[in-house]
Amino acid sequence: MAGLWRYILRRLLFVIPVFLAVTLLTFLITNAAGDPVQIVKFAIRRITPAQVAALEAYYHTNEPIFARYFYWLFSFLQGDLGTSLRGGLVASKILPWIGTTLELQFLALAFSLAIGIPLGVYSALKQYSKADVVISSIAIFGYSMPTFWLGIQAIIVFSLYLKWLPFGGAISPYPPYWGGSIYTDIIGHLILPVGVLTFVSLATFTRLLRASIVEVLRQDFILAARASGLRERVVVYKHALKNAISPIVTITGLSIGLSLAGAPITETVFSWPGLGYAYVQAVNALDLPVVQDLTAIITIVVLLVTILTDISYAYLDPRVRLE
Amino acid sequence: MGEEILRVENLKTYFFTEAGVVKAVDGVSFSVYEGEPLGIVGETGSGKTVTSLSIMRIVPPPGKIISGRIIYRGEDLLEKSEDEMRKIRGKKIAIVFQDPNSSLDPLFTVESQLNEVIMAHLKVTKQEARNRALELLKMVRIPDPEARLKAYPHELSGGMRQRVAIARALANEPDILIADEPTTNLDVTIQAQIIELLKELQSKLKMTLIMITHDMGLVAETTKRVVVLYAGSVAEIAPTNEIFKSMRHPYTAALLKAVPRIDRRKELKPIPGSIPNLIDPPSGCRFHPRCPYVIQRCIEEVPELEFTDQRAVACHRWKELSLKGE
Ligand SMILES: Nc1ncnc2c1ncn2[C@@H]1O[C@H](COP(=O)(O)OP(=O)(O)OP(=O)(O)O)[C@@H](O)[C@H]1O
Ligand code: SF4
Ligand SMILES: [Mg+2]
Repeated sequence: MAGLWRYILRRLLFVIPVFLAVTLLTFLITNAAGDPVQIVKFAIRRITPAQVAALEAYYHTNEPIFARYFYWLFSFLQGDLGTSLRGGLVASKILPWIGTTLELQFLALAFSLAIGIPLGVYSALKQYSKADVVISSIAIFGYSMPTFWLGIQAIIVFSLYLKWLPFGGAISPYPPYWGGSIYTDIIGHLILPVGVLTFVSLATFTRLLRASIVEVLRQDFILAARASGLRERVVVYKHALKNAISPIVTITGLSIGLSLAGAPITETVFSWPGLGYAYVQAVNALDLPVVQDLTAIITIVVLLVTILTDISYAYLDPRVRLE
Repeated sequence: MGEEILRVENLKTYFFTEAGVVKAVDGVSFSVYEGEPLGIVGETGSGKTVTSLSIMRIVPPPGKIISGRIIYRGEDLLEKSEDEMRKIRGKKIAIVFQDPNSSLDPLFTVESQLNEVIMAHLKVTKQEARNRALELLKMVRIPDPEARLKAYPHELSGGMRQRVAIARALANEPDILIADEPTTNLDVTIQAQIIELLKELQSKLKMTLIMITHDMGLVAETTKRVVVLYAGSVAEIAPTNEIFKSMRHPYTAALLKAVPRIDRRKELKPIPGSIPNLIDPPSGCRFHPRCPYVIQRCIEEVPELEFTDQRAVACHRWKELSLKGE
């Protein structure tokens, strides 16, 4: 166990430079579009010199860009997200969106694992059977379709054409609610985005797990487990699955990262009021402080997921802890 | 000689691959007598491992036992239900695999892997299983067994891993222990120790050893009788002490010339030609493309396994050849 703790500490130390690099790069790029004061001056024609001076002081625009990065970094680390160029505090704008994004991502992930793992195991055990061929074909379909395209198709079919489900958003702003109550309305709004995201990552998990289990089942220790008189259930669900799951853990981490990276597109397709949606709007409005903070927050989430992935990997496989 | 404990009769195990049907074991027959260690030898790919997996009925797909009988103490294992078979595996017949690096699950500790095998056959508590596991590690002479119980396979040396694999195979004191090239992947000095251990345990636990190997020296050292396999069928069966002096099958003769022996410093003669393709094996005697004594009949007619005075041979010409060892 001591090995595991040392491993976790090493991983934590490793992500700090990554965080600094990503946020610095974003800062440089967004500021290349113009410094905040110029952008505000552009948007608000009648601005008084006193206001400009106040803005310059607030954003430290007279100082070199690296110094400004550190001003940003220190206030960010203190939890002060600053002021949006569109008015209001950044924190009050984006904190509620984090919850909506995570809700969608978490549900999609939970469903795709809950369905993908049994499907992958089943497919692997019944290799080349009809069921396996069907599962594998659907998986390849889901795997190769772009999420936004699938999302648009799903909206066209289920919302526009069949009128079964609401169009987008997370909740109806006013009655009539879908399904009659505000709770069913929330669920109704979740079905399409969760369904589409689940389908896409489900396909990845199923395919990977199938391949991984087929590979593990060929190993000598599986033969040895059978030769020892263990029940087939134990051989498959204890030994084969645990050995086969490592690539899934890695991919889960990667796929959360990818899914978050894809959030601006998917959330825009479903008008889902989350970080990704907010991101697109902030970029369109050249709202640099919001873009900077959103990038930093998404980076932190992705890095945390990576660390969690590595830790679960090390927890599952004792060989990793050595390294 | 004890009574017959295991009889393999005309066993056929094929692999249905995309390239074709691999006749890995094609009509193998031999008997094992209680307390009489048996050797199974043959080049790589001759079907030794597939034979032992067939006995356990754990041939992996696309492999399938096509026909034959495997009689263990009078009962045909091929007729048993999967559940009955499970109670035989590891309890009555156990296997030690060739490569200790891959025959232990890398993700579980030694203790957990021994416990599960003990608890698969005995109704015991975790604590009792642990005590038994400790006892087993002592039996296979693992130093500091308490600490080793907590170890993962990668924390052990190759020799230690093979000792753990042996401990696992012996956990339920099987009747028959199949050792499938148990030392091939180990250092020479470790090999000798593992063989010593197996010899000692077999007499202590009164189990019948089936030693699968390429190594004729090992056959001489550990067995009383030997089955020579060639390309999925039996070439010859003979008492070990006789086969070195008078082999009856030309393949046995070639094999003896091709394997190193510690007691003899002679030049090795590799067997000319290569092992046949088992999808489309040679007609007649499968050894005919490589046999120095081949005649027309060998190409046309499959030689039957003929049993005479404790021995068996599948060669049309064995009587006239009278092969001798040097
Ligand atoms: N999973 C499989 N699929 C296809 N063919 C197989 C499979 N397993 C074994 N075979 C074939 O069966 C034949 C016999 O293999 P087997 O492993 O029994 O040989 P062996 O005598 O144990 O050799 P070695 O000394 O190398 O262990 C080989 O020709 C091999 O190609
Ligand atoms: S049957 Fe013919 S080919 Fe086969 S081993 Fe005997 S002599 Fe050689
Ligand atoms: Mg083998």
